Amino acid sequence: MMRHPGLSVPIGQNTFLKRFSFYMILSVLMLNAISLINLLSATTNIAKHLKGIFYSQIMWIAIGWALYWLLTFVSYRFFVRFAYVFYIVNIGALIAVMFIGKTSYGAQRWIDLGFFSYQPSETMKLAMILVLAKYLSRFNPSDGIGFRNLFVPMLLAGIPFALTAKQPDLGTALLILAISASMILTMRVRMHVLVTGLCVALVAGPLAWQYGLKPYQKNRVLTFLYPNKDPRGAGYNSIQAKIAVGSGQLWGKGFRNGSQSQLEFLPEKQTDFIFCVLSEEYGFLGCIATLGIYAILLMAILQCAMTAKDLYGALLSIGVFSLVIWHVFVNIGMVTGLLPIVGVPLPLISYGGTSSMTMMVGLGWISSVFYRKDMF
Amino acid sequence: MKIHISYEEPALRELQNRGSLLYIALGSLFSFLILRLIYLQMIQGSALYAFSEKNLLKEIRVQPPRGIIYDRNHRIIAENLPNFALTLSPQYIKDLPPLAHEISEIVGIPKEEIINKFKKDSRINGSYRPVTIKNFLNRTEINRLELLKIDFPGIDIEELIFREYPYRDAFAHAIGYISEISDTELPRLREKGNRIVQQGDVIGKSGLEDRYDDFVRGVTGISYVKVDAKGREALGESLKFLGSIEDLPPKAGQNIETTLDLDLQLAAQETFLKHKQTGALVAINKQGEVLALYNNPSFDPGLFSKGITSDVWSKLINNPDKPLRNKAIQDHHSPGSTFKPFIALTSLQDGNIKEKTLVNAPPVFMFGNRPYHDHTKTGQGYITVTQAIEMSSNVFFYKQGLATGVDKIALYTKALGLGARTDIDLKNEVPGLIPTSEWKQKNRGEPWQEGENISIAIGQGFVSVTTLQLATAYMAIANSGKVYKPMVVKKIMDTENRVLQEFSPTLVNDLTDPTKPYYVSPDNFKIVQKGLFLVANGERGTARGAKIPGFTIAGKTGTAQVRGFSADQVYANCYNRPKKQRHNGLYIAYGPFEDPEITVAVLTEGSCSSKEAVPLVKEFYESYVKKYHPQAITQNSEPDTKKGKQ
Repeated sequence: MMRHPGLSVPIGQNTFLKRFSFYMILSVLMLNAISLINLLSATTNIAKHLKGIFYSQIMWIAIGWALYWLLTFVSYRFFVRFAYVFYIVNIGALIAVMFIGKTSYGAQRWIDLGFFSYQPSETMKLAMILVLAKYLSRFNPSDGIGFRNLFVPMLLAGIPFALTAKQPDLGTALLILAISASMILTMRVRMHVLVTGLCVALVAGPLAWQYGLKPYQKNRVLTFLYPNKDPRGAGYNSIQAKIAVGSGQLWGKGFRNGSQSQLEFLPEKQTDFIFCVLSEEYGFLGCIATLGIYAILLMAILQCAMTAKDLYGALLSIGVFSLVIWHVFVNIGMVTGLLPIVGVPLPLISYGGTSSMTMMVGLGWISSVFYRKDMF
Repeated sequence: MKIHISYEEPALRELQNRGSLLYIALGSLFSFLILRLIYLQMIQGSALYAFSEKNLLKEIRVQPPRGIIYDRNHRIIAENLPNFALTLSPQYIKDLPPLAHEISEIVGIPKEEIINKFKKDSRINGSYRPVTIKNFLNRTEINRLELLKIDFPGIDIEELIFREYPYRDAFAHAIGYISEISDTELPRLREKGNRIVQQGDVIGKSGLEDRYDDFVRGVTGISYVKVDAKGREALGESLKFLGSIEDLPPKAGQNIETTLDLDLQLAAQETFLKHKQTGALVAINKQGEVLALYNNPSFDPGLFSKGITSDVWSKLINNPDKPLRNKAIQDHHSPGSTFKPFIALTSLQDGNIKEKTLVNAPPVFMFGNRPYHDHTKTGQGYITVTQAIEMSSNVFFYKQGLATGVDKIALYTKALGLGARTDIDLKNEVPGLIPTSEWKQKNRGEPWQEGENISIAIGQGFVSVTTLQLATAYMAIANSGKVYKPMVVKKIMDTENRVLQEFSPTLVNDLTDPTKPYYVSPDNFKIVQKGLFLVANGERGTARGAKIPGFTIAGKTGTAQVRGFSADQVYANCYNRPKKQRHNGLYIAYGPFEDPEITVAVLTEGSCSSKEAVPLVKEFYESYVKKYHPQAITQNSEPDTKKGKQ
């Protein structure tokens, strides 16, 4: 029992409080509040079966916080030990979803667990962070990562990427790739590896376009590049989203006064397009405030990475950092027309059980890293 | 501890030293987003805002209240009533059957019917468009429904405008009806330069509603309604972002005052219904103001405002008596014997006869080897022109027709307004026809036959007139030659009834103007008037049975053959024929004889005889006298009763 990390005894009252990242807690609470306010607005004129999601979200937030505190006091090392187990189980779930998954919007992404729909590709992001953190903390030659060291991480990232892309959910697949790449790149990588990687990406891109993408995926990219070509059809969502964001102007239209959001011009306004509701009703100021809160959260995560007592904790923090920042960037980039429309939720604001849980588990780990930064 | 800290340490240090790179990554990614937001919200913001407004606004055209139509005594004959309609908003209704049950109890529509209508309408229009369950709720219903609203959401009582014709079918043809513009009418109106009307607007379709539509209709308003991406009306009180766009309120139409007299119009209807005749009645005053214009059968124009059902519509158009037709101006027919006074006038002015000239009128008149019959078996013997009018002698007028010829007849009858549109301010008037020799040559390619003058002389042959023309021409005889254009509208007024435009009587012709080719001496008018007096008052007058106590009228009856039957068939077996082939009855009378005020023309379709038209005129006059000369009745009632006792 004495060896269990969770039972480490604090030295004093003041130091005990310093073991929690208050910036993180505060920013997450503020994002929770933003989520609820916007969900309240988004559900005003929503279809009947979605009326209850405001209350569901309160429940998810509560469960999320419970997980956060639980994981804070459980050593992240516990998860290190079982990283590959999580990874393999999750790969299993991704394979299972191909056979027993629910199909929605043309993609098989969910497994119906009765009380909620489980989306394995979401938890895959966490498993990916775990295994990469474990692998990279073990194999990091002092002269930087060479090709030989890249083989296993690429394989680890490649399998879930392929499985998720197959669903098809290219957005999540690319996010898994982006998170993996971010984690690898923060390590020391040899210059020739970087150069080669860049060249491969340049060659692989067009090849993937030609052979790897489904027509609807190509269409999304084309629509992104030329949204006005078919404003009533494929480009509709992108254009309406941009109108929603832009029409908020400086001050926004006010709570529940966003015409775009209230009157069904936006698809999935409670999940992937929640930022439209926010930016239409609270304008540029609301957007900047929200981005500011995200920035505080991300810096709190980085603080954990910087103060982590071991490489594993640092890598875990960087993994969660990239998880959050890529989601924020891709989601807001997509609704503002910077990126094509892909199904990526806005962390902690979009409605959704799996997404909320994923984020809170990730943050719980980081909290655990922070909690243990001074422990030996 | 199991962890190899010593092994990890250098790598961790290195990683943490590179941490600033991650801050830079965070800064640059967020900068991207912020720049993008600045571009969209600050630079493009107002343009995208305009887009978002356009996105959710739908123009709804709001029909204005139409102008009120008054009779000559400022009594309302067409108005707008609020229509309280019960509507249900599908999106708020969760459990329909109990609600339908409650509503059924109040408004008396079967529960199943309510449910079916609700389901059908919400399927077609979506759940945001309220379904109208019942129009024209009464006060009790409204009160009870208001109470019901507390327990059931989604019930609404909407206030709409409804065009009401309080006298139902009494004024149908004069006022006309309104209804939504049709697909074929819109391009036609556009061609005529009417750019105001649009699909969905309600316009006048006949009568005054049609003729004065531009005045009465008002200006359609525009209301901006919030809609969602699917074009459905969005309800939501909290949407206050419409500040910059104002609704354009509808402008009410202008009111009009007609020359019609409600009491006389109702009297016309009453007498037609009493005698179960179909036909027309026109009453005009001496300056051409139409006092009554009634056709039987009629229809309720309110049916059209409520939205006529196909069932009722097909009944109306398939009715052989054509209730939708304004027979007084849309049907032209032979004038029959009512044409004889015009022949008398022509012959007198032409100098063929004088007042006292005696002409032999045997029962049969031979022209060539063809016999032309009188309507009596005896004939009238030697008679003067006034006697000929009194007894409606055929042979007398055959001879006059032959003597004057068609072109002389045409000269005077056309001057009196026959055979051409009177230009009354109602639509779809037909001209009828007064033939001339030139006309026949041109249109039939044949010269005028002398024998045709004989048919013309008794108002048969090519002669064809409308009931309204007869009334106008008889009024001109009563006026000793002054022909006025008939008119229905006197004043156009704004919504406060301030007069905007007033129409004065139009003198079309004055036959006593010696400079004119159609000059008729006042004396000759006197002679014809005397003849008309005898018709109604003489011992052998054809309408002597229709005297009005205390009020002297003068007129002429006519039994007009339906075209296509030879003269021999005219008086034979009329009653055995189908109604459409039977003769029409006509009686046109003006009064009082001494100082004419009003002329009444009655057409009874297929009545075979003018005897059917006479009582209608009589009863109409009785109503007229009751209203305009009440002292005439009181003065004469006493001697009348004494007579009765003798």
